[in-house]
Amino acid sequence: METADLPLNHNKPLVMHIDLNSCFATAMQQAFPHLRGKPLAVAAYNSPRGCILAPSIEAKRFGIKTGMRVMEGKHLYKDLIIRTTDVQLVRDVHVRLKRITRDYSTIVSPKSIDEVVIDFNPVQIVIRRPLTEIASEIKARIKKEIGEWIVCSVGIGTNRFLAKTAAGLHKPNGLDVINHQNIRHIYSKLKLVDLNGINHRYQARLNINGIFTPLQLLDAPLDLLKKQVFQSITGFYWYRRIRGYEIDNVEFLRKSYGQDYALGKQTSDPEELSRILMKLCEKMGRRLRRSSKAANGIHIAILYNDYSFWHRQSLMNQPMYATRDLYRGAQLVFNQQPYKKVVAKLSVACYDLIPSAKSQLSLFDEGDDKLRKVSDAMDSINNKYGEFSITPALMIGLDNTVIDRIAFGAVKELEDLYLK
Amino acid sequence: MHEFINEKISVVTVYDRIKGTVIPKRIKWQGRIYDITKLSYYKPERVGRNIVHTFHVSNEAMDFKLRLDSYTLHWTLIEVTDGNS
Repeated sequence: METADLPLNHNKPLVMHIDLNSCFATAMQQAFPHLRGKPLAVAAYNSPRGCILAPSIEAKRFGIKTGMRVMEGKHLYKDLIIRTTDVQLVRDVHVRLKRITRDYSTIVSPKSIDEVVIDFNPVQIVIRRPLTEIASEIKARIKKEIGEWIVCSVGIGTNRFLAKTAAGLHKPNGLDVINHQNIRHIYSKLKLVDLNGINHRYQARLNINGIFTPLQLLDAPLDLLKKQVFQSITGFYWYRRIRGYEIDNVEFLRKSYGQDYALGKQTSDPEELSRILMKLCEKMGRRLRRSSKAANGIHIAILYNDYSFWHRQSLMNQPMYATRDLYRGAQLVFNQQPYKKVVAKLSVACYDLIPSAKSQLSLFDEGDDKLRKVSDAMDSINNKYGEFSITPALMIGLDNTVIDRIAFGAVKELEDLYLK
Repeated sequence: MHEFINEKISVVTVYDRIKGTVIPKRIKWQGRIYDITKLSYYKPERVGRNIVHTFHVSNEAMDFKLRLDSYTLHWTLIEVTDGNS
């Protein structure tokens, strides 16, 4: 169709991407003013091998990056301050950001804990001022309603991809617009891996086909992208995306719920691992039941301390709803592992979700309905008195194990946050 | 200095009827009195049906994280730091 020489999208840029700069670290500096202006890193653990999740703007100036070990960060700046994540604080910042952005459009999509996209297309008739003015207002409101130390970069484009690209142009505290007039100029200053969605593997694939810059990607014909570079519909998506046409406004349905845990004290003790498995199943079950779902399948993945990996999944003959069912299924799969090695990371997920109300009652297991009611009653108690007020006996003594975390990306996790 | 304390403390607060806010103004911890000069962040958090209020406050030298349990009305000093380590 259309595709032989699709022009750039000439429409008015109406998609705004807001990215809180160094969110975890700036939130910490907001809450603790004596940390402001100092190189700070928020890490998973305050130990030499703990992973840095977010360096502050000041720490980034010393070359400290997300994913480094704490000891690597301290090699770059010996007085680097380390703090562990304040999960509730960061979630609160996110909820406030979402509340502010909801005042401007009917379509607001959180992309992660520190990123929100506002689509102004449905309200474009009633907007009587430039989007840059709205962006400045949002920035001011963030400072007033969340905290004076919180800064964000805002990007505006005709689609989500260009808006995100614009938000990444000037950090921190940037405000940029990409439209059909400046798009070529902006692409000329970027590298392929600067484009959101192009990683080193995609870059290599593009390089093999003679594409080395974003401008060359923009000028590449559709057939080359679709049939040769990506060899799939992905090529067509990139062809439209890079020209500013929206193809990313898709909401994917949830297909599974999962929990994982990197063991602080690695062990091969089956009893200890079963207890951790129970806690993971309880957390997963709470989320499953909160969304009124039951699951037919269970998946277990184990990373051993020699970096070998084992995983297996299995469909059960009855939908699982109660924690006990999930745990029984998980334990069945867990017991199939052929090794008895020291476990470094344990993951459990349930899949093949169905509405819990529709799940068929077992003809033979008369206790099934009672078990559901017990689960619902336990959930009600935990809702009233707080998480883990009442737990299965196997979880006794596991209070500080499987710590609450914020996942990277985490759009699915945010659903749970709003449901709460 | 950065320490997790988790100790009950005495707190003097000011309630503003116009804004509907409660702000800690003075705390007493381990026999010493600290005058609070800044409230840098406040967040309410639901724990079951109870609401726990977290206040991040500071004086000239230190930052304090305080928690008010709205059911027991107990104030707890959670965390204290001078921002130097």
